[in-house]
Amino acid sequence: MTRSMVLKDCCLYDPVNGVAGEHVDICIRDGRVVEREAGQTEVIDVGGRLVMPGGVDIHSHIMGSKLVHARAMCPEDQRLHTQAMTGTTRSGTGHTLPNSFAIGYRYSVMGYTTVVEPAVPPVRALGCWDEFRDVPNIDSALLAMLSNSTITMHYVEQGDISGLAGYIAWTLRVAGTFGVKVVNPGGVYAWAHGENVTRLDSPVPDWDVTPREILRSMCMAVGELNLPHPLHVHPINLGRVGNVETTIATLDALKGISTRTRGGSAAHLAHMSFECLSSVEGGGTEWRDIASGGTVFARYMNRNRHFTVDLGQVTFGPVTTLTGDGPFEAELFRTVHTKWSNLPVDSELPGGGGVVPLRFSPKSLTHSVQWATPLEFALSIDDIWRCVLTTDSPNGGPFTKYPLVISWLMSRRQREAWLDAVHEKTSRRTALASIDREWSLYDVAVATRAAPAKILGVSKWKGHLGPGADADVAVYDLRPEEVDLAHNPTLVLRALSRTYLTIKGGEVVAREGRAIKSVGGRLWTCHVELDSELAGRVESEMEEEFIPRWYAHAPENYAVPDRYRTGIERAVHREAMDIRP
Amino acid sequence: MTSVGVRLLLVTGRTVRQGRALESGKLQQEYMDSVAVCEVDRTTLRVLGVTDGGPVRVETIHGSVVVRCRVREGVDPGIAFMPCGPYANAVTGGHTATTGMPEFKGIDAVVLPAPGEGVPTPEELLRAQLEEGA
Amino acid sequence: MGRVICSFCGCLCDDIEVGVQDGRIVSVRNACALGRVRFLEWDRDRLRHPTVLRGGEYVQVPLSEAIDRAAEIVSSARRLLVYGLSSTENDAHREAYRLAELVGGVVDNTSSVCHGPSILAVQQSGIPVVSLAEVRNRADLVIYWGANPVAAHPRHIQRFVRAEGAFVRDRELWVVDVRRSETARVADRFVRVQPGSDLEVLSALRAIVNGHTLDVSSVGGLAMSELSELAERMQSAQYGVIFFGLGLTQTGGRHHNVDAAIRLVQDLNSHARWGLLPMRGHYNVTGANDTSTWQTGYPFAVDFARGYPRYQPGEYSAVDMLVNRECDAVVNVAADPAAHFPREAVRHLGRIPVVNIDPKKNMTSLVASVNIPAAVAGVECDGIAVRMDGLPLYLKKAVDPPPDVLPDREVLAEIYVKVAEELGR
Repeated sequence: MTRSMVLKDCCLYDPVNGVAGEHVDICIRDGRVVEREAGQTEVIDVGGRLVMPGGVDIHSHIMGSKLVHARAMCPEDQRLHTQAMTGTTRSGTGHTLPNSFAIGYRYSVMGYTTVVEPAVPPVRALGCWDEFRDVPNIDSALLAMLSNSTITMHYVEQGDISGLAGYIAWTLRVAGTFGVKVVNPGGVYAWAHGENVTRLDSPVPDWDVTPREILRSMCMAVGELNLPHPLHVHPINLGRVGNVETTIATLDALKGISTRTRGGSAAHLAHMSFECLSSVEGGGTEWRDIASGGTVFARYMNRNRHFTVDLGQVTFGPVTTLTGDGPFEAELFRTVHTKWSNLPVDSELPGGGGVVPLRFSPKSLTHSVQWATPLEFALSIDDIWRCVLTTDSPNGGPFTKYPLVISWLMSRRQREAWLDAVHEKTSRRTALASIDREWSLYDVAVATRAAPAKILGVSKWKGHLGPGADADVAVYDLRPEEVDLAHNPTLVLRALSRTYLTIKGGEVVAREGRAIKSVGGRLWTCHVELDSELAGRVESEMEEEFIPRWYAHAPENYAVPDRYRTGIERAVHREAMDIRP
Repeated sequence: MTSVGVRLLLVTGRTVRQGRALESGKLQQEYMDSVAVCEVDRTTLRVLGVTDGGPVRVETIHGSVVVRCRVREGVDPGIAFMPCGPYANAVTGGHTATTGMPEFKGIDAVVLPAPGEGVPTPEELLRAQLEEGA
Repeated sequence: MGRVICSFCGCLCDDIEVGVQDGRIVSVRNACALGRVRFLEWDRDRLRHPTVLRGGEYVQVPLSEAIDRAAEIVSSARRLLVYGLSSTENDAHREAYRLAELVGGVVDNTSSVCHGPSILAVQQSGIPVVSLAEVRNRADLVIYWGANPVAAHPRHIQRFVRAEGAFVRDRELWVVDVRRSETARVADRFVRVQPGSDLEVLSALRAIVNGHTLDVSSVGGLAMSELSELAERMQSAQYGVIFFGLGLTQTGGRHHNVDAAIRLVQDLNSHARWGLLPMRGHYNVTGANDTSTWQTGYPFAVDFARGYPRYQPGEYSAVDMLVNRECDAVVNVAADPAAHFPREAVRHLGRIPVVNIDPKKNMTSLVASVNIPAAVAGVECDGIAVRMDGLPLYLKKAVDPPPDVLPDREVLAEIYVKVAEELGR
């Protein structure tokens, strides 16, 4: 059945195609954008409203055992927001940790249609494939956490980049994952010994490797494999005062590593707000010395083009910190004394990730500076195409706060109002108050659609509305020519929180702020074809040596079976035949 | 005849035999044999004047039930152990203290000899409970 | 066929070799005594046909008629309880939640009567857990506390504790319990506590670990010297683990006991690596908590009366729903409340219509108004189950179910469709 639709009179912001506010019609057929639609078709006149490609979130914790654990651990969060079932939608709960249905609906109500789950221990990927069937109205991709895997340690210690690349390719294939995530490389491994690492050259227990070697080796392997998405990095020393220096050193360590096709990007730095903290002049690493590293890091980014960034914007109110960085969470628990879970995963996260609920308060200087840091950064960089808007949901705040974050970026007036409300010393620790810049709608469209799709490596289909793109469209109840958004931050909030229409794969899934449909999404995966000798070697090492030695289940039970992939998997194919065995 | 009862603390729990029998089929003789049991130490058995495998009545505030008494290594004086299942549940309480979890372990019980009394089958036990509720 | 996963207990042993001949299981290797029965006697004592209760007699009916009767019971209930789920696979859970949501009922899994209190403790304090491979690879001190794996998880010790560790040489196994269980007999050390005193013992240990001096001569039946020795041993471990069982959750203090264990282990992490893990009994009770959590927001005891999920153990948990005579119908899936609930709860089962969906004859099948046989998950149908440490595993199908016998998920889906029709949804 051919299904077609024309959206008439869209005030379109489509940065990939260089469109900034032109009035156009968008034609859709069979879930794709097409040049023109002739004949019988549904016409929806959107009356000059703001239209953007469906939003793309590159880093939001929406699935997996960590999130499931966090929800079960925090019924107090579940009780905060509830949504009753309707004839076409399932019931929802949760504020920072919504249930699966609510995650899908709330994203689609904001106009988002693609959301990446960035922290999956591949041995538990099956759980994500299962869970994803209950996340409606969005496409997704899973990033495999491999930087503390016992097997990675083995290959890095051997200096066997080919083996490491083979291991990554094997993991992407059998676990149905899309890209590779680094989390506190070496530190999460050391946490199995109750330790952490603090320097790029700290030793990692049990192995003759360092965080620097892990990072460089993984970056090389991902580069050789020609993966769509660069190495996704959560560096060491996250959440520590003064860590902007470590973060810059980490990125320096990856400079110059050859990457084949991605315009030279070696890494994507996740949630910079937690790793770009500086300290006051002459200060140390105590919390009382905290200062924003936003400007310092923006300067570094403006001078170095080998990486991209997402914000991980800190917002105020309840959050749930949940990361693959177990030692960080343990330290946080000792500071805040709320509650703490630590969650190791067989051989892949030996020390474990963790969960600690938290509340960011504007009365706290620390929290206020953490809030200002990513804003200061985002308003100081030259190239928004290398920057993605996120809150590292639910770490910096739930993803439902994106419109609020956008209002801070678009409106100086809004920032001033908030600067008045946060801790009085904030302006002495950050440069935010002195920044006049205001993001345009075009900038917003870049940082919430075009750039993340490009960085993710799916920009052929996502993040734009040219012919051939997936018909994922957000129509907002806003006529951009009629309003001055910088002076109307509440309008930004209101308009971007609830779409007029959200279209996912050619189907209207949300209308006027309500999800009206539950459509199954697709999960992106990446299959890399390797030289058969290398593939064979790694397969036999995995199945005959590593899994029997380090895991507690059989190799044949590692893979996600076809039963769970059929109709959901959307594979991107790559070739890396020239990696020597 | 007045019989001598022994006050014990009743603990219920899993046994291998009960686990196997439950998986095999709950309406089989093997299941009844595996769960219609109260395990005590040797001294308690002697005080009760019951032979190993003889019938006893276990009474708690929640109810009473006739099961076979057995001596068991590792059961301390003062403790009665019953494998979880319908017989144990006939004498455990439904109050959960708003947790959802009834009291399955650590219940005050009196174990009495029950000479001549038959152990009901699981089905008979169930029928009796349903009649109480009717 | 190749190796399959044993769907008996929370260990989900996945190295089971099953021999199949002419559609029947004829041999099993590597399984424990319980697993052997699961496979070899899978076809014994089955519910062979759907039955409905008519005039005090069970009458065989076609499946469609049993489904119709079940749907009638569900749609005419004012307060439905859906219960069980821990011995079936994740897809069946989905259908159960959907059904409960549709009619505004309550759905609870068996964790309310096993580790529900552990979940309450986790909601209070969080929990540093362990993964089983990492225990085998690294732990140098393993303590079973109020748990008897030799009886309930027979291969747990062999696979994860008394196995060679990749990064550890010596490992000690200690048991803390109120009785010298079978597990205590194979331990390096057995510590006996008085029944009902786990909370005191755990709290005292925590005080000692944190450097406090206790002005008492004994706690919970342990002399101070024994207690100090235990505390010292715990503090000298490099990688310690407490596996705890129903000995903590089913005694007086319930969640308070588990909370004390969690707090102790959280504090021990200042000295070395420590974790703890509940010994989950039913093979997919962990999965039932997981699916319930991602689909309803809550791990068990979920009520849909208002169209959205609410959570309250003690109200929406199965025993309370029955004891308080709150529910007026029950759909039981892969559990046996008539055998495993206290007398007071069982009585109410006799007063209300019960739809029983299970592969085997069980005690609930003697109470039910409708019995619908189901395929044995992990033997006759596939699906996902979750190991006690959170590892999801794909259960394979070894043999076909009997003719006209469907997996739980399909039975529930058919009931859903009928109920939706009757309610005009």
